[in-house]
Amino acid sequence: MPLLELDGLTRRFGGLVAVNAVSMRVAAGEVRAVIGPNGAGKSTLFNLITGVLATSEGEARLDGTRLTGLPAHRICQHGLARTFQITALYPEMTVRENASLAAQAREGRRWQPWGGGSVFAAAVSRGDAALERLGLGPLADQPAGLLSHGDQRLLEIAMALAQAPRVLLLDEPTQGLSVQETARAVDTLAGLFATGAMTVLLVEHDMDVVFRLAHAITVLHRGAVIADGPPDAVRADPAVQLAYLGGLD
Amino acid sequence: MTVSSGTVPGVRAPGRRLLAAGVAAALVAAPFGLPIYATTLLTEMLILGLFAMSLDLMVGYTRLVSFGHAAAYGFGAYASGWLLLHGVPLVVAVPAAAVLAGVVGLGIAWVATMASGVSFSMLTLAFAQLLYAIAYKWNAVTGGSDGLAGIPRRPGPFGFALFDSRTGFYYLALGVLAGSFAFCRTLVASPFGAVLRGIRENEAKTRALGFDTRRYKIAVVAIAYALGGMAGALYAPFAGFADTDLLFWLLSGQVLIMVIVGGAGTLAGPVLGAAFFLLASQILSAYTDSWALFFGLLFIGVVLYAPQGIWGLVRSRPARPALPTDVPDAAA
Repeated sequence: MPLLELDGLTRRFGGLVAVNAVSMRVAAGEVRAVIGPNGAGKSTLFNLITGVLATSEGEARLDGTRLTGLPAHRICQHGLARTFQITALYPEMTVRENASLAAQAREGRRWQPWGGGSVFAAAVSRGDAALERLGLGPLADQPAGLLSHGDQRLLEIAMALAQAPRVLLLDEPTQGLSVQETARAVDTLAGLFATGAMTVLLVEHDMDVVFRLAHAITVLHRGAVIADGPPDAVRADPAVQLAYLGGLD
Repeated sequence: MTVSSGTVPGVRAPGRRLLAAGVAAALVAAPFGLPIYATTLLTEMLILGLFAMSLDLMVGYTRLVSFGHAAAYGFGAYASGWLLLHGVPLVVAVPAAAVLAGVVGLGIAWVATMASGVSFSMLTLAFAQLLYAIAYKWNAVTGGSDGLAGIPRRPGPFGFALFDSRTGFYYLALGVLAGSFAFCRTLVASPFGAVLRGIRENEAKTRALGFDTRRYKIAVVAIAYALGGMAGALYAPFAGFADTDLLFWLLSGQVLIMVIVGGAGTLAGPVLGAAFFLLASQILSAYTDSWALFFGLLFIGVVLYAPQGIWGLVRSRPARPALPTDVPDAAA
């Protein structure tokens, strides 16, 4: 049984159908990339899955549990963690505080209005572990706002990992990175995914990144799925080539 | 950057403890060394300090800027005034009024947190004006434009009258402020407080991490109203009256100024800001009717040159590289 299932997910903005009956299955341990030209509906799709935007039709399920209709924070509590296309951090907090607050969201007593030494201890230890996995350990005491853009992108991923998600959604993790930063980020991610223990849905523009990381690819065009399959098959698909050349109407 | 743990960065702990102990000792000894009017002034400072500190939970720690915090103060004053006039003893009326103000705050917060930013601020103002209008019109309960007069510091139960005298009431105000300060310190250093800081710095991210940010905001607003209401609840028996000025938007603006001048996000700063505001109004008003003008200039100066407020100047801060994304903590 797939871990994440999308069933005819649709979102209309007035007359515009931004996401049109998108269905896909993400198996446990799979890294699936969602690609498509600008405006294909990739980010909107993420916003529908995570509950940031209301879904017009269809539903998303995580391990059989219906996510659609739940508020965003509830969906997150079910084990979905995401990063944003535009880096979203707490710039004035340290790197460690950023990761720890992300981990705190998974603690049962995350809201406790007094004391909380044990809550913080657990959150910091899980946050630090996530920072180590992404090689950010040495920067833990820096304010997040002072990190390089590349490190900030990695910190966002570390914050998602600190939540020990069942499915990780990455929205263009290499967006705005230099060639060197991209190479480093991709190496780090490839290392993370190599164990096969993570289920990932990845939106990415950079095809080199996609073909390096993804086990499967879904291609969106004008909100609809036009191809779905292993990387080589998708790369050879004439419809996909047409879409990227702008010839498909 | 504001206080990110329970400690004040920059001032070494032993020095800070010594300073805190000195201030505490001076406050405890004050009524014995000061002339009567000074004790009265100090009592009012403590009450206003509690009021400003309560607003700091919203403005400084959560960046929820309220333009209507007089609603909490005025409501607390009317509630305790009414209870005291109807036979309820002081030691019951004050906490009861605080709880009632917290309940009112819960309702206001529930509506106001449907919006954010300026709309949130406007909704808090609207609710304060609504309470003002009710107090003005509902003669039978609030005394209308005359307000409630002759509010007693009613003793009891069982003849307990320690807080009735000028000195006794001073100690009551001091104790309530000290207790509230300890409460707020615990709150902002807790896991709950960490989430508030997350909301302050990036609410969308905090929500995306899985925190139900609206609940946290409603909770902190209710707490701020309860504490602000407690300040008002002390003011009514302190002054002996409660009138519509206590619900007026002018007071909402003044308390916001106290928070910012004192140092938002520091708890102690706003208490200092309130004391400073009251002192300035007393001293300057002896020389000129337009003292508010001079205080306004001071306010502008603080916003421009001391965004951490008076408290930021008091505590020596280590030099820190400026963040590219650095924004002042206050609503400046």
